[in-house]
Amino acid sequence: MDPTPQSNGPVTRRQFLRNGARLLTMTGLGVAAGALATRSTAAAWVWQIDPAKCLHCGNCATQCVLEQSAVKCVHAYAVCGYCQLCTGFFAPEPNELTTAAENQLCPTAAIQRAYIEDPYYQYSIDEQLCIGCAKCVEGCNRFGNGSLFLQIRHDRCLNCNECAIARSCPGEAVRRVPADRPYLLKTTSR
Amino acid sequence: MLRRLKFIGALGAMLLLAFLVSAGQRFPPPDFDSGYRIPSPTTPAARQLWLQYADAGVFLAALGTAVWLIHQKRSRRGLFWLSLFSLAYFGFYRKGCICPIGSPQNVVYGLFNPEYAVPATVLIFCFAPIVVALFAGRAFCAGVCPQGALQDFMLIKPVKVPPWLEEALSVLPFIFLGAGLIYAGTGTGFVVCRYDPFVPFFRLSGGTFILTLGAAFLLAGMFVGRPYCRFLCPYGGLLKLASLAAKWRVRVTPDTCTQCRLCEQSCPFGAMREPAPAAHPDGLGAERSRLGWMLALLPVLVVAGAWAGSRLSPAAAQLHPSVALAERYVSQQTAPVEYGLMTPEALSLERAAENPAALLTAAADLRHRFDWACLLFGGWIGLVIGVKLVALSVRPGRTDYEPDRGGCFACARCFTACPNERVRLGWMPAADKPTAS
Amino acid sequence: MKPEFELFDRREFFGVVTKTAAILGLAGAARASTEGAGTANPFAYDVSRFQKTDPKLIAYEEVTRWAAPHKEARRLAIGPDDQLYVCAGNYISRLSRSGQTGLELALAGPACCVAAAADGTIFAGLRDHIEVYDAKGGRTARWESPDPKTWFTGLATDGKDVFAADAVKLAVLRYDRNGKIAGRIGQKNAERNVPGLIVPSPFLDVMIHRDGLLRVNNPGRHQVEAYTFDGDLEAVWGKASAATAGFCGCCNPIALAMLSDGRIVTCEKGIPRVKIYSAAGEFESVVAGAESFPENAHACNDLNDCIHGGLDAAVDADGRIYILDIVTSQVRVMQRKA
Repeated sequence: MDPTPQSNGPVTRRQFLRNGARLLTMTGLGVAAGALATRSTAAAWVWQIDPAKCLHCGNCATQCVLEQSAVKCVHAYAVCGYCQLCTGFFAPEPNELTTAAENQLCPTAAIQRAYIEDPYYQYSIDEQLCIGCAKCVEGCNRFGNGSLFLQIRHDRCLNCNECAIARSCPGEAVRRVPADRPYLLKTTSR
Repeated sequence: MLRRLKFIGALGAMLLLAFLVSAGQRFPPPDFDSGYRIPSPTTPAARQLWLQYADAGVFLAALGTAVWLIHQKRSRRGLFWLSLFSLAYFGFYRKGCICPIGSPQNVVYGLFNPEYAVPATVLIFCFAPIVVALFAGRAFCAGVCPQGALQDFMLIKPVKVPPWLEEALSVLPFIFLGAGLIYAGTGTGFVVCRYDPFVPFFRLSGGTFILTLGAAFLLAGMFVGRPYCRFLCPYGGLLKLASLAAKWRVRVTPDTCTQCRLCEQSCPFGAMREPAPAAHPDGLGAERSRLGWMLALLPVLVVAGAWAGSRLSPAAAQLHPSVALAERYVSQQTAPVEYGLMTPEALSLERAAENPAALLTAAADLRHRFDWACLLFGGWIGLVIGVKLVALSVRPGRTDYEPDRGGCFACARCFTACPNERVRLGWMPAADKPTAS
Repeated sequence: MKPEFELFDRREFFGVVTKTAAILGLAGAARASTEGAGTANPFAYDVSRFQKTDPKLIAYEEVTRWAAPHKEARRLAIGPDDQLYVCAGNYISRLSRSGQTGLELALAGPACCVAAAADGTIFAGLRDHIEVYDAKGGRTARWESPDPKTWFTGLATDGKDVFAADAVKLAVLRYDRNGKIAGRIGQKNAERNVPGLIVPSPFLDVMIHRDGLLRVNNPGRHQVEAYTFDGDLEAVWGKASAATAGFCGCCNPIALAMLSDGRIVTCEKGIPRVKIYSAAGEFESVVAGAESFPENAHACNDLNDCIHGGLDAAVDADGRIYILDIVTSQVRVMQRKA
């Protein structure tokens, strides 16, 4: 590495000023880093939706920076009533209680309906098809047990510094959670 | 006896809990005869923490490599391949996030919002390039920044930006930095991240506006070298300041400058500077008085800026969702607008109507915070403009042709323009060196 | 490369800075102002069209309404003596048709359901047992339920048998006049082809129809079922739909009543409405639509508290329909439009 050109008066003075500035900046950075490090966490943060605050507005499907939103519907089977007429699966005015597309609420037919025994049916979400629009969540919460809810799926989420969905959420339901507990699953009806 | 009682008590509590849990449900939990077992929802894990640290490790390694390539090896080709690697790794693989450009926002957000603790990796990403710049110049910009690398690759035919325009636009990064920091500090959002034009390309998706903006920057970057870096990047502003104090400067020549002027046109980013002309004895007095006036103007500009900034406060505060909601709520009382069924506006207004007092108090607090923040922001802009004017009035002490200390991206393009360098590389014999003009 | 620094740099610089600042400011203001006129939500779950009833379908008009004698009204019934019996709070009140309280029975717990026989006997259903009172209000008997977890929500009697609908055990118990259980109706039984009752929220009602069969609502299946007194399932009708002709939401109908010619009156919650069907189950008309029960709709949808919402209905000898609004604890008297 070559030395800087040597010694006229102005250069030395400037060099001295530069050294001083460098020292000051390093000290400042050190202080800032120290102040923050005492409050710093090892764990990273990830974004997650709080189902208790979600208003089912549909922004999750449209606001995510990804083409196919990282938000998907999740089913808390333990809370589900397994009803024949699932108000999260069926449109309000179904012609019949079958899986025909015109009877379904989901715009992409992402909910699978499987018969278990009379009168119980299992409803499960196909994440490839789900767009995270919360139509089924609204139906389930309004007339059913509320076992369907939206969650950010971390195999898809980019974990942006500023979540575009969080910014536009009318219920302020999207918040940072520690990365080792990245889900806020529903365990009760409300 | 006591143990049995405890057991019964625990059992009773569990049953009660089970009853309470199911009591809130409209539909009771089914009891299956066929032996069906209730599945659990899947929980795909977030990216593991050790990978985050691996990213930071790669980052530091890349920074170190860049410093070595610029100062020791002095190799443009090496830097080219390093920047390609950085584009691939930090750009397309990591999708440009976490990146140092936005990290000062995280730091300020962490300082002013106690509920957010800045992760250690973010601190590394934020401070390492600045520390490097304090010692070795803008090695980050040259070899590690994926946005810079993308612009570098788009450069086809560099066009010279007129110096007055260059100086004027160079204030913008500091304005953007100030805006980004006040929005982060007040918890409004990360506007630097929001308006980064290149990250949507890394993600391969984005809205119309930001993709158009990105395309515009890339197209401009074909002719105006590194437009985002020079005229908008807020972190670049910080690196410019840090680089001014760099211990080891980027030098065109590996040894003494022979004033041959072959490197004058070699910088595509307009950062090459000539030696200061000889001081004219008659002109010195005028120069000094100009400097004096600029120094006197500086505090005036700061105060004027602070005043102007405080005028901006209500408009700036609107960007915060709570303030925007409060304003919408208030205007809804006097001039109601019909929002569609279950639109975010309608739903947020319903939520606001549940507890308007809390919302309005929170919004008022935020407005107050913004008053202070915008005051600081305005003063900061005044300071930046004033310092720029002072800097323009100060006689540079250059005796050689060398890159501008703050503006040089350390891309090593100018090295091979220098005949001394060509001799060092063995591209030409020492005898062919031009004599000084 | 920068030429020798000169004065003109600074002036132009000032000018450019001012212009740039102005442009930025304008751009910022423009962006802020284009934010939102409300656009539609393409994923909105819209049931608002069901909240309004087609006026051509409404065949009844309100004559009067008055408050129930106590808060927390649950059920009402009309006895053979054409007197009204209202279960509200811990009381059962016998009222004249204009709402004057005659007899009042104070019970030890919440009054859930009531039925009156022709001889004046009053059967009061509390949550887990039935108390029998004579016409003057003296208690004559207490009938226990055979099951520990019982929730009686409906009673009917023809004078000889008393039918008690248990919403938790999903059965209608048949008691004789002595309080002995003579049978269970409606329980799931594959051999007798009885699919079973599904009662998600505690609204199971039972009614004796003039054709000699019981009518029991099966809210989880959105059906009305007709049983013999012995428990054979004879007929089933009903369709699940939010539209006016169907039974809406999760679990409806919640209450049944009968007009003198055998037509059946049904009550629903969620989209609260009272409708009339033929004896065979064809939709005929609406007595009162969802627009007339705003508090009920609010309770079920906004407060998510469907267990405390609901309606009940009873018919008097003149064909007037009395609707009990459980949320507001009011009784409405409806009369057929001319």
